[in-house]
This record gives sequence, C-alpha cells and structure tokens, in this order.
Amino acid sequence: MIEVEQIRKKYKDTEALAGFNLSVADGELFGLIGPNGAGKSTLMKILATLIHSSEGSASIAGIDVARDPESVKRVVGYMPDQPGLYQDMRVREFLEFFAAAFAVPKNKQRAAVEIALERSNLTQRGQSFVEELSFGMKQRLVLAKTLLHDPKLLILDEPATGLDPIARIDLREQLKKLNAEGVTIFISSYILSDLEDICDRVALITAGKNAADAQGQSVLVLQSPGSQMQIYEIDFLGDATFAAARANEAPGVRVLEATQSRLLVEIDGTNIEAARLLQFLVMAGVVVTRFDHPAPSLERRYRQVFGAKQP
Amino acid sequence: MSLSGNPMIQKELRQRMRERRGWILPSLYLVALSAVVCLVYYMITEPRGYSDVISYNSTETQGYQVGVGLFLAAAYTQLGLLLLLAPIFSAGALTIEKEQRTLAGLLTSLLGPAKIWWGKFAASLLFVLLLLVAGLPILTVAFAFGGIGIWEVFITTLTMVIILGTMSAIGLYWSSAFRRSVHATAVSYVTVIVLTVVPWIIYIVAATGTRDDSVYSVPYWARFALYANPVFFLTTSFVPRAQLYPAWCWCLVVFISVSVLCVLLALRNIRRSGDIS
Repeated sequence: MIEVEQIRKKYKDTEALAGFNLSVADGELFGLIGPNGAGKSTLMKILATLIHSSEGSASIAGIDVARDPESVKRVVGYMPDQPGLYQDMRVREFLEFFAAAFAVPKNKQRAAVEIALERSNLTQRGQSFVEELSFGMKQRLVLAKTLLHDPKLLILDEPATGLDPIARIDLREQLKKLNAEGVTIFISSYILSDLEDICDRVALITAGKNAADAQGQSVLVLQSPGSQMQIYEIDFLGDATFAAARANEAPGVRVLEATQSRLLVEIDGTNIEAARLLQFLVMAGVVVTRFDHPAPSLERRYRQVFGAKQP
Repeated sequence: MSLSGNPMIQKELRQRMRERRGWILPSLYLVALSAVVCLVYYMITEPRGYSDVISYNSTETQGYQVGVGLFLAAAYTQLGLLLLLAPIFSAGALTIEKEQRTLAGLLTSLLGPAKIWWGKFAASLLFVLLLLVAGLPILTVAFAFGGIGIWEVFITTLTMVIILGTMSAIGLYWSSAFRRSVHATAVSYVTVIVLTVVPWIIYIVAATGTRDDSVYSVPYWARFALYANPVFFLTTSFVPRAQLYPAWCWCLVVFISVSVLCVLLALRNIRRSGDIS
C-alpha cells in the first residue's frame, strides 16, 4: 500500500528526512515511532500530498504521490496532529461540507454523513455546534470526516494526543474495527502501549532515517496475524533449574529466559493455557509468587533504540 | 468555478452570516451612507429649502444639480466605506484557516487550491456586494431630482464591483502570504491607502509646471500610477458613454492585471502552505 524509497525533505537549514525507506502492505495496521523531530510528521505530510519531497519517491496504492496527488487524495484519509475544526458549524454541516469537498456524489452524501455520524457515535449531536463537543467527541468527528470518502489508507499523526483513557480505548477499538474492514492504517503515536495493542508492525525513525534496534531491525514485528503467542513473566522461590525444567515440560510452553528467581515463557494459546501452566507449576511444586505479562516490550525496545539518544 | 458547485462558498457565507458582524456591518454601513446623503442634501439646499430647489429660476439651485450632487456624494462615500470594509473580509479568509488549523483538511480534500481560492474570493466579494446592493436605493434617490439616469447608476456600480473585486484579490493574496489575520489585514489596509493616496501625490508632483490641467498633459508614468487609483477609476466612470475610452478603459486594464497577478501569486502560496497547515 505504501512504498517509500530514499525519501528526503530539505528545508533551508535542516534535513527533516534524510533517505527514509518504508514498505507497508495492504491491510496492515502499521506504526511509526521515533523521538521529537525525527521526521514522522514530515513523512506523513508528504504521503498526504501536503508537501513535496526534495528527493526520493513515495507511492500509495501504486500511485506516485508527487506526480498524481489528486488520485492519491481519493484513496487517502489524513488526520494531522492537532487537527482543526470549524467551531461555529453544526456537526452535520461540518460533515456535509467535507462530503462535498471530497466529491462524494450528491445522491450518496446524505448516507455518507449518516454513516459518519454513526461511526463517531455522534448521531444524537448532529445539530450541536462543534464548539459544544468534548475533546474526545471532536477527535471522533475528525476521524469520521477523514473516513467520509471511504479511503483505502488512513494516515493518522498522533491521533491519541490529549485524549482521556476512555477515549483512547474507544479510538483503539475503532481503529481495530476499521482495519478489520480492510482499511490500511499508518499511525504515529507517543503512546507506545496503544501501538503495541493495535499494530502489526512498527517502523523506527530517527533524524529522518531508519533507526535499528540491537538486532539490526528497523521494523519491529509486534503481532503476526493468526498467532496466539503470549509472553508471561513468572517469579518464584527456590531452585531455578527445577522451575525451568517443569515449565518446559508443560504443553505449548517455551522458556525464553531463566534467571535465579524469574522465568520468561512463551505460551501458545489463550488465557486458559496460561491458567493451566500456572496450575501445572504449582502442582509440580514450584512456589510461584507472581504470574503476569512482562512490561510492554515495545516500550523496552524503544528505550533500547532511542533511550541514549534522548536529551 | 460555479457558485453552486463549490462547497466552500456555501460554508463561508453561512459562517459569515452567523457572525455578529454579519448584521452589524451592513447596519452601520447604511446608517453612515444615509447620514452622508442627508448632510449633502442639507448643504446643497440650505438655506433655500426644497421649494426653491425645484424652481426654474436660473440663479437658484436646480433639481438636477441636487440629483448629481447626491449621486456623487453617495457614490464616493460608498466607495470609501467599502474600501475600508473589503480587507476585513478578504485578508482574514485564508489566515483564519491557518490559525484554526483547518487548512490541512481543505488541502487534503479534493477541493484543490483553485477551488479554495475561488470559494474564499467569491464569499468575501459577495458580502461586499451585498453592502453595495443594499446601498443602491440610497444611490438612486438621485432619480427623484433628475440629472442621473440608469446608465450612470450602472457604470458606477460596475466600476465599484471591479474595484472591490481587485481589493478582495489583493486582500486574499496577503492572506495567503501571512500566517496571522492581524498581519494580513494591516498590510491590506496599507495597500489600499498606498493605492488611494500615492498615485495622487505622484500625479500632483508630475502635474506641477504643466501648461494645462488635463490628465493627458502629465507624463505617461504619472498617469499610469493614477490608473491604479480606485477613486480616480470611479471618477472616470462619471463621463458620457463615448468618453469612457481612454481613461476608464485603461483603469479597467490596470485593475484586471493587478487582480490576475494577485490570483496567480495567491494560488502559488496556497499550494505551498501545506507545511504551515
């Protein structure tokens, strides 16, 4: 869906992008992470046809972004960081205006607006002025506006910024639902736990270039489709070798790491398999003091890649 | 580029009419215009009174003189007021989108820079034209006194539409060039003042020492500066139909050229504004 090759964007004194590469497949929910000023927003603006790259190429659904921006606009829905709204318009008027602006055929505009209102849970607020909505509602309205023309690709630049936890959960669920409907989503966010929850893969960017983790990977795989692998951390008292051996005996379990008082295991299955492992260990005589998911791995990997580079 | 096919126009007009200034400005404008016309009527007729005005005594003020006087006063006042109001609507049209961060939404839609410009231009010009049309009944009060016909009202109104169109195009150019409405509005006012005052200064300086007081006795460059002056353009419309050429026609060419230049520069700026949206 997205192909970016050696893309560069130079301003007078700075280079926002310095040869970044990216490939996002159809139907993926793909994240982009990096520190402030890494070039995330610049890359997203280029893909949304807002600005031109200085060098390199970018294409969306096979369409060159620089050569045919009109066609790109038809397949892309872009939500900038801190999106603006017309506060003095009614919610329905706002959506009607953008339906017309996205050239939705006149006979389909009404239906498109109804779907957008429904999608954003704002059907009851259609006649309210935008300024009367809460921040979370406004964010939902912007997302609904972005979806009016049924884009194949959603480009979301920090969509969760400023949202309260409930609104963030709602947004995550909405994105998962859209992705399940076949919409490819390219999202940047500082809230790594959100990305970890929803993204299939995440690209690392720093100083306008691809960044790599300790294993040399610039794209981190977070979820393989269809996989039910779960990582658990088990704290215990007693002999580590004994505990590791018992865990390895359990069906569908692989010990990834074993220290003096902690095991890191991978379980092939759901929470039921996890509960069975816990039961198995206790029955085998291992004194388990804690059985839980480890700290989010994306956060750990982010710290490994960018931690030292942060001011 | 039609009015109905561009959603921007409908949106802009709806938002504009919702603002308080949507009714305050037309009201104040009509009050000011009426006050000036009343004052001029009083000055022309006083102390003789209306009964003497319509008398046929050649030493008294004739009815047609009152008509022409009222018409000229109304036309110049209308132009002055609208030159003051036009930048308010056009200079903030694009900067407001930058200030409230809505420009990115417009630029990533299928509207494109030309439709965005046209929507903003048409909406700001239509509001000024609303004021112009609202003032027409006052302008046509002169009909009652004679000396003024349909043609005079038509050519004066047409000239004002062209002047206001150019001023709106200039305001929109500044709006595309600046990020903040306050800066774009200030520079638009400076432009209006420069166009209104500077050509007269150039003309007066160039005309000093010439033998007759005809416009055509001053050097070509000084006349050219005058052709860009809105007040002079309006003045050139107060002539018989056959005398519109050359002064009125040259003014028309200059005003349309300035407008076209402003449109092209504004479109270029809108295309480049993705970074600040």
